[in-house]
Amino acid sequence: MNASQARRSTPLPIGVLAAIGIAFIGAPIAALLIRAPWSDVLDQLSSSGAWTALRLSIIVSLAAAGLSFVLGAPVAWVLARGAIPGRAFVRALVILPLVLPPVVGGVGLLAALGRSGVVGRWLDAAGIQLTFTIWGAIVATTFVAIPLVILATESGLRSLDPRFERAAAAMGASRWYVLRRVTIPLLRPQLAAGLVLAWARALGEFGATITFAGNLAGRTQTLPLAVYQARQTDPGAAIIVSLILVVLSLLVLVTMRDRIFAR
Amino acid sequence: MRFRRLLVTAICAALALAACTSNGPSGSDSSPRAIELTVFAASSLTAAFTQIGSDFEAANPGTTVTFNFGSSGDLAASIESEGTADVFASASGTYMDDVSNKVGVSGRADFAQNRLVVITPPENPAGVTSLEGLAKPGVQVVLAAEGVPVGDYARESLKSAGIEKAVIANVVSNEEDDASVVAKVTSGEADAAIVYVSDVTSAVAPQVRAVQIPDAVNVLATYPIAVVSSTTHPETAQSFVDYVTAPDGQATLADFGFLPPPAA
Repeated sequence: MNASQARRSTPLPIGVLAAIGIAFIGAPIAALLIRAPWSDVLDQLSSSGAWTALRLSIIVSLAAAGLSFVLGAPVAWVLARGAIPGRAFVRALVILPLVLPPVVGGVGLLAALGRSGVVGRWLDAAGIQLTFTIWGAIVATTFVAIPLVILATESGLRSLDPRFERAAAAMGASRWYVLRRVTIPLLRPQLAAGLVLAWARALGEFGATITFAGNLAGRTQTLPLAVYQARQTDPGAAIIVSLILVVLSLLVLVTMRDRIFAR
Repeated sequence: MRFRRLLVTAICAALALAACTSNGPSGSDSSPRAIELTVFAASSLTAAFTQIGSDFEAANPGTTVTFNFGSSGDLAASIESEGTADVFASASGTYMDDVSNKVGVSGRADFAQNRLVVITPPENPAGVTSLEGLAKPGVQVVLAAEGVPVGDYARESLKSAGIEKAVIANVVSNEEDDASVVAKVTSGEADAAIVYVSDVTSAVAPQVRAVQIPDAVNVLATYPIAVVSSTTHPETAQSFVDYVTAPDGQATLADFGFLPPPAA
């Protein structure tokens, strides 16, 4: 609890290594700031299609975070509480997108949901196409972001004191009522953390999106894809668009720090 | 405690390994010359240059050739900022000019030409049978992005056919290089794309249908190769360039669908 007392006693080697660590993480960000073509930043912003990409990124990442939440939180509930066979395997499976290279996710999504994919061919026959559409970008991004919701929610459910729920049930509350009025309110910090982390991850998604949804300005070209394309022809614009992502992500993490890290 | 000892051992082992590898080159004084040549080459050259690389290694024992394939613009940018290439082979003269101006090159020579072709999935779902077919409403067309040589050449060809606007309206994705464009067609996602003739390799051919583009509106891409001035192996780099432009290299390029360079 006494943080100021604890803060005074950092051993020197730890302090030195920590300083190197922070510098290592901070250097690329600082370099972006130094190298940015500040003199014509406004021209770059309007000409590079950055605004279109920003708008699309915000729509796609919010939708992906929402979808991750709607599907991921129930998965976490089942993993923590449900009686499912092969729980360890299922848990590994649903966390897999977190460690898998996103391009692998994109290739898998193409095989599953592409126009000639295992499931996609039926969608295609029904006139539904995900690839090259904003829906494809949302699906690809959700695939990558969903494990964060699952991890945060499941750890929250596991550390929850079951006596609160038992007490509510003993007093005659229905299961639905307990979930709504006891479990979810107690879980709010973890749910919020999962949602925000999933959103931040979705904002930065690149590999699965470009592989599955393609790259077209205004339709599937989110900010990371815009950076990648600008890098070829206009390195200055690439830096400016990168900085938009940096600022946006930093803003999320700073404003939400209490939600994410405090207990 | 045991864990800590393990950790220390692991770190020591890692340090020892690192020491070994850094001693490698100086420790091999006895062997004649162990040279590692780094060649940056346009991604359309992947198949042909991989073959040429192993032929070159066989003809020059002790030399290994490492390739970095990518979009020519990307490669040019990384040569300019990192200078790690010994040889640069570009799909466009523009990017070679760029490297020539900023880093310097020597022994520059045009070594091949390439033409464009339309490809569709084998079942040709959108019924594309000509370049003009790309302009039909609803055809899902994939091109390489602007700034990627094959993407710029494709737009040039469409412009001379007078259908640039209609086709651009059909474009569903701008890919980072020709390999990604081909992948979008072989996976059946795109209805049609414009790539190099050389992209339709023997491995790709069964998975696509090629639709020829008439000479009048086709674009001839000329590929230059040169030694990058910052190289530490100028002689070996030049002999690789010579190998590519000599009959052996030219025969391999022809096998992979490239045309001979324009007569000087």
